[in-house]
Amino acid sequence: MTETVSTELEKAAYREAVKTGIPTLFGVGAWGLVVGVAMIKAGLTVPQALGMTLLVFAGSAQLASLPLIAAHAPVWVVFLTALVVNLRFVIFSAILAPHFSYLPWKKRAWLGYLSGDISVGLFMYRYPEPGFDQRKLPYLKGLIFPNWTAWQVGSIIGILLGSQVPSSWGLGFAGTLAILCIMLPLIMNKAALIGVAVAGAIALATVKMPYKLGLLISVLAGMTVAMAVEEWLEKRHGKSGGQKDGQGRA
Amino acid sequence: MSDMEVWIVISLLAVATFIARSSFWLVGQHINLPKRVQEALRYAPACALAAIILPDIILTNAEVDLAISNPRLVAGIAASAFFLVKRNMLMTIFFGMAVYTYIRLGL
Repeated sequence: MTETVSTELEKAAYREAVKTGIPTLFGVGAWGLVVGVAMIKAGLTVPQALGMTLLVFAGSAQLASLPLIAAHAPVWVVFLTALVVNLRFVIFSAILAPHFSYLPWKKRAWLGYLSGDISVGLFMYRYPEPGFDQRKLPYLKGLIFPNWTAWQVGSIIGILLGSQVPSSWGLGFAGTLAILCIMLPLIMNKAALIGVAVAGAIALATVKMPYKLGLLISVLAGMTVAMAVEEWLEKRHGKSGGQKDGQGRA
Repeated sequence: MSDMEVWIVISLLAVATFIARSSFWLVGQHINLPKRVQEALRYAPACALAAIILPDIILTNAEVDLAISNPRLVAGIAASAFFLVKRNMLMTIFFGMAVYTYIRLGL
């Protein structure tokens, strides 16, 4: 009896999640389409592009890797760049993981792998507090399965479309614009803005360095400057008599 | 890159996704990242993305090109402004591509 009640609850949670995610699916599919086209325009073959979308499943890291692959950057530079671009997921994963620490490790591994930006955002909106709740797992699945499907369908259409559209249309630039749209919301304060400006300026100055090493130098410099600026702003704020004890903050 | 190298890159990128998304799931339990580490994790991706696209937008044949005839620069600025107002990725991409194509083809 309790068994059937709990599965009913779980099914309802799954359906609720699917419903919540539906409005985002069109955007996810279209974003996949842009990445699909960009992969082909960067010179990947159709099997390579299909392999990339199915295995990597991380649009921003895929887009970031494309100019590097096209420029014949060393494999380890491409890997490090993708890792850095993915770092924001580490924070998501640290937020989401405590909700599911009771699951076996294999299940945790693939649930984490499938949880992208949008799914984590929607999940945390519905369940802000950690702790066991049998509805959480079906709810997360109801978000990530349709998300994965929409992404892959969009990507595959993009890959097939990309191989038909001539390069003279300049569709590769859509990938740059997509990265722009991911980058702008990440610039959430003054420190980030200064860091991005420093990283961008150094990237321009070092563009002729071999192996795309300028890219990694830019990231390190930008990140260091951003952190220093944040620390400096905090100190100045503290001295001017602000909330020094930090109480009342989240 | 050779076919083999591209497949090695694809495999490593899959590893990069896995490391970033699943590491904390596997470590499990409650882990509070130190504040400084959280900052570094938050700032690094924006810096990396900027370092990737700014050269593409600003350089023409590896030289800084701030002229109004640079279609990528004008489209990049227009798309940024559009995104900051509309907050919609797809519309921004369409708008940016329209500006880019308009200037590039000299319509």
